[in-house]
Order: sequence, then C-alpha cells, then structure tokens
Amino acid sequence: MKTRFIVLWLAVGIPLAWGVMKTLQNALKLFQ
Amino acid sequence: MPSSFFDRESTVAPAGYNRFLVPPAALAVHLSIGQAYAFSTFNLPLTKLIGMTHSAPADWKLTDVGWTFSIAIVLLGLSAAVFGRWVERVGPRLSMFAAALCFGGGFIVSAVGIHFHQIWIVYLGYGVLGGCGLGIGYISPVSTLIKWFPDRPGMATGMAIMGFGGGALIAAPLSLLLMEHFKTPTSTGVLETFVTMGVIYFMFMMIGVISVRVPASDWKPAGWSASEKPKPLVTDANVTVDMAWRTRQFWLLWGVLCMNVTAGIGVLGQASPMIQEIFAGRVTPAAAAGFVGLLSLFNMGGRFFWATTSDYLGRRNTYMVFFLLGILLYSSVPSLGHLGSISLFVAAFVVILSMYGGGFATIPAYLRDMFGTMQVGAIHGRLLTAWSVAGVLGPVLVNYIRQFQIDHGVAKAQAYSITMYIMCGLLLVGFLCNLAMRPVHERYHYRAPTPAK
Repeated sequence: MKTRFIVLWLAVGIPLAWGVMKTLQNALKLFQ
Repeated sequence: MPSSFFDRESTVAPAGYNRFLVPPAALAVHLSIGQAYAFSTFNLPLTKLIGMTHSAPADWKLTDVGWTFSIAIVLLGLSAAVFGRWVERVGPRLSMFAAALCFGGGFIVSAVGIHFHQIWIVYLGYGVLGGCGLGIGYISPVSTLIKWFPDRPGMATGMAIMGFGGGALIAAPLSLLLMEHFKTPTSTGVLETFVTMGVIYFMFMMIGVISVRVPASDWKPAGWSASEKPKPLVTDANVTVDMAWRTRQFWLLWGVLCMNVTAGIGVLGQASPMIQEIFAGRVTPAAAAGFVGLLSLFNMGGRFFWATTSDYLGRRNTYMVFFLLGILLYSSVPSLGHLGSISLFVAAFVVILSMYGGGFATIPAYLRDMFGTMQVGAIHGRLLTAWSVAGVLGPVLVNYIRQFQIDHGVAKAQAYSITMYIMCGLLLVGFLCNLAMRPVHERYHYRAPTPAK
C-alpha cells in the first residue's frame, strides 16, 4: 500500500511540478 | 480485462484502504482534461498548416480555429449535465474510462481533420468528442472524493479541481515542446502533436481508471461522525438531481457560480493585451506572457487553498469573501492603473484569479452541504451549465465593452475601467444570490421507498 501511495503521487506530482517550474520561469520575465 | 473490471462493485475499497490513494486518481483525470485551458497554444500553428511560415489564403482563419475551444467548453457543460446521472449510476471507473476515450479520441479525430484540412472534423473531434470527455471527466471523481472525505469535502474536491487548473501549466509547455520536436520543413508538427497528446492523455487518464476506488456504503473515517457538529446550511439529508434543480437553492448556486466565473474568465482571456495597454511601453509581450503564467498559477493554487479554507470558514462565508474582496479589488484596478503601480496591479489580479479558481473548487462541497452526497456528482454536472454561459458571457463583455469605448475615442489605457466596474456589478449579483441562500426545504428531501406490506 505504501509503495502504491508513493508511485501514484509521484505519477501525478512530477508532471505537475514540471509544469509549475516552466510557468514560474515564464512568470519571472514579468519582474525582469 | 474482464468486463466486471468496470463495474462499480469491483471498485469498492477493501477495509483499511488508505483514502489518500484516491486523490491521485482524480488528479490523473483532471490534470489531463485541464489541457483545454492551453488549447490556445495551437491557435496560430493551426492557421499556418498550408502556408507554414505565414497564413496562406487557403489556411483556416483564427476565428475559425477559435470556435474549437468554444464548442469544447459548451459541450463540457452540456455533457456534464446530460451524463451526470449516468456517472452516478455506473461509478467513477467506467465514467473515467469513457472520459479517457472521448478526450484522447478527440485529439485523434482532430488529427484526421488536420490531415484532410477539414475544420469541421476538428470541431467534431476536439470540440464535440473532446468536450464530452471534459464534461464526463470533470464530474466523474467529484462524488467519489466527497464520499471518501466527508470530514474535509472542500479539501478533497479542491485537490482534484486544482488539477484542472494545473493541467494547463503542463499542456502549454508540452504542446510547444512536441510541436518543436515534430516540426519539419514540410510540416508544422501539429498533426503529430495531436496524435501524441491523444495517446499520452489516454494513458495518463488510465492511471485514474485503474486506481480509483469507492468507499463501502457504511464506511466512515475513523473517529468521525456526521452529526458530531451540526452546522447551519449543512444537511444530513439527500436530494435527488431531478428534485434539486426544482429548488431555489440550485438556481441561486447557479447564479453564484456563473457570476464568479464570468468576472474571472473575461479577465483571464484578455490578461496579456490588458496589462500591455494599461502600462503601455513598460510591459513587453514576454512580460505579459509571464503575467498570464502567474495568473494560471494562482488560478490553480486558489482552487486548493480556498476549497480547503471553506471547510473551516463555511461555504457561504467563503463565497462572501470572493464577492466582497472581488468587488474591492476590481474597483481598485482603474486607480492602480492611474497610479502606474505594476506590482499592486499584478497583486490585485493574482488574488482575483485565485478566487476565480476557488469558486470552481468550492462549489461541489457547497452542493454537498445543500443537497447531500447521494447524487452530488449529477447535480454538479447540471450546475456546470453556468460555466458554459459564463464562458461566452465573460469574454464577450470584456471584449465588446473595450472595443465600444475605443471606437468612441477612449484611450486604450482607460478602456478597461468601465469593464472593471461592470465586473463589480456581476459580483454584486453573485453576492446577493449567496446572501439569499437558505437550507433546502424538507419536502424536497429524498425518502427511501417504504417496502410494501
């Protein structure tokens, strides 16, 4: 159950974190 | 795969199942269908399929392509309303599978339309088929999550609906990356990108299909009891979907959602030109794109933050905050523009957009409070027609009022002032709808049929 918990949260968390990082990189241009 | 795999009974969780395994299943669906918010990344490439570097006379016009998104959003609301009861009956697994087939299939059908350069096939694919995938996918995990988290329904649905906001953050860079990868001297790479995204999203949504579980009918969180702390405007009774939309409360909530979304969506669609025109010469197109990205981040974060907060603050009070703070912030935007303060302007809009997202994420829990858990998914589906209306009303209001003012000699920088005051008016209507909210009368409550003697 613990492995399943980690795998599932990583499966949705990694793409979301990637998207947030890319958006933040773009958003920083507003303050440059 | 045996056919019983899709049956509701086969998704019932065993005793001791960790309920925090369910939100990732919902997120897998919502992160996928949230791609819809990033459809605009395809707009320009779709107008250059023949000309490649420029729009050739035979190419599709931007207005033609723009209809694809509008059809998808209208179908989102309609399919959620029509299929809501079916989703409740068959359970989350089959409905998520249907959503995956429709949404992934919508991309593939659209790719056929791109291949033959027939826009109507794209409308049919992404617009109609994909739109049905959006609607069914949007509501399919909602009632399951509410049943798993009766103690924190706002947080649970906030987590899933946050995924819809987050989907755009993934899809925008992913689409650009794929189009760049597939681009050749003879192809814009859009067709290949559509096929790839159709397959990726279908597979990603299957994570949700496989991992979703519903709680046993008598399941409750350990140590929690429904009548522990009775709250005003939170019912223990149930109202069926057919009865719910005959109640005043349903239409008041419809007004609450419609007004909140109309005010936010109009701004979201015009954010880039708006900041460039209000701060002419000080904000570049790249910086404006950064502003849009920041709004998307707060739109996503607000969904989780406000929905979770509503578990403590109460649903009606949370919407009171949205409407009152919204009125204050919208009415201050013209002054912030005159002051020339970009930071305060940005700060006001990120809070506004967080409340726009928060409105979407808090509404399922509000429905659950008013109508109970029995058919909350189906009722939510019917309420989403408010989104379809707002999706047309918001952009039309902002665009037409701005154009009307410019045509009558108002400077571009000042052309948004009236719009902001109109948004305040819409929020005031939403505030009044929310203020009028009362518990649903007992005569609408569901009573199980008494067995014949």
